[in-house]
Amino acid sequence: MINMKRNVTRKIIGGLSLTSAMFVFQACYGTPQDFGLDILIEGQVKSKTSGLPIKGIKVSVADNVQYEVTDEEGKFSFYTEILEGLTLHFQDIDSTQNGLYIDKDTVLTDLKENIYLDIALEEK
Amino acid sequence: MLSSIKKYSFRKFRDSETKRHELNYLFWECTTRCNLNCLHCGSDCSKDSLHRDMPAEDFFQAIDTIENIPQNFTVVFTGGEPLLRKDIELCGKELRKRGFKWSIVSNGHLYDKQRHISLLNAGIGALTISLDGLKESHNWLRNNEKSFDKVINAIELASSSNRINFDIVTCVNQKNINELEQIRELLISKNVKAWRLFTIIPIGRAAHNPDLSLADNQFVQLMDFISETRKSKGIDVKFSCEGYVGKYELLVRDSHFFCRAGINIGSILIDGSISACPNIDRSFSQGNIYTDNFYKVWENQFQPFRNREWTRIGQCELCKDFKDCQGNGFHNWHGDKKNVLVCHNEKIEKQRNANILYK
Repeated sequence: MINMKRNVTRKIIGGLSLTSAMFVFQACYGTPQDFGLDILIEGQVKSKTSGLPIKGIKVSVADNVQYEVTDEEGKFSFYTEILEGLTLHFQDIDSTQNGLYIDKDTVLTDLKENIYLDIALEEK
Repeated sequence: MLSSIKKYSFRKFRDSETKRHELNYLFWECTTRCNLNCLHCGSDCSKDSLHRDMPAEDFFQAIDTIENIPQNFTVVFTGGEPLLRKDIELCGKELRKRGFKWSIVSNGHLYDKQRHISLLNAGIGALTISLDGLKESHNWLRNNEKSFDKVINAIELASSSNRINFDIVTCVNQKNINELEQIRELLISKNVKAWRLFTIIPIGRAAHNPDLSLADNQFVQLMDFISETRKSKGIDVKFSCEGYVGKYELLVRDSHFFCRAGINIGSILIDGSISACPNIDRSFSQGNIYTDNFYKVWENQFQPFRNREWTRIGQCELCKDFKDCQGNGFHNWHGDKKNVLVCHNEKIEKQRNANILYK
């Protein structure tokens, strides 16, 4: 309660100085502050047939430069900008190494919180 | 009348922020290695730094002492050149796991497409890249003939992302002061939204190079350039928070001058020292993460930063603007600390008097 009161007083005094940037600052030799929103997308890619994790699958965001490649456990994890809808491409990029799988797209909508995906790819 | 109310409210606000001293912004000098050898460098960084990079676990142990973490708490990786560290992305992810934001100050030399993607993947939120002129003058200051082309590539990548809050900083000096309009057009053409302009403080390598300091008339030229550019909408340009600029306050930046070093801004330096901005004289260090609890130091020390009456000395002693300036940016107190290193407002006033005499 006391903290809330202090915050309100702080905002009133700050507001009276009529400079909107009062609470937004950056150090002289520092960066701007980050007010952007992003979400963490994580998951694991497995073989639909064997249920085993697949290494070397490229997980990319449509219309965006971002991508990651699954690790030994078929896992991936990255932050990306929050959009209304987002398409993830799962693509086998290492030819026969680690098996041959059919590419898959997953459409994500109503993104608000971090997401965990279990993805199963069919063998070619 | 309105201006007096604004000034009075601002001083009250500054006093309350100082009393509150919420840690919002933490520099981590994670390396002092650097891939450039800039003429104006204020630190002692070099290709083969005397210091080894600080192990990430030491840094995390220190920041895990922070209680009551404020909203928007940001860690800013600085150096040296932070991108020389291979584990920046791992550190970034660790910070995000703790709910912290993070950002990087970089010379752009290593910022290629692959690094851009891996930094985005690791949750980077903001970035500052240095561009110090058109090709010739930038490469002169950066002491490297490839630097300009690499920076332009970095700028194109960073400005292509909607996620990164990104700005360009330029150190204005004798060689680029007359290029500012061309630099502005270049940045606009590269879709840069924000640009901060600095002058060079005569510390580190810059102390002995007269080409780096601006004459009084050139400093006023810079103020006029910024205030004029701010009237148009092409790019958000501002003067950095390096110093108090008297009649130009609010014309060259969004808010009144307020040096938040040690008030909202802290740092963990390469040797574990706890201080504020990394360019502040190292004798102001308030403790060391290897011997002290970081957050206790932040809460209980930092008196010289939070009560600046001690800067009423030398030319600041009788200055009529002291209430608003409070001894200028903290990084302007070096050496014996008997006088402020640079008084920006003095440059403006001197030039004004010179103009009157000339007329």
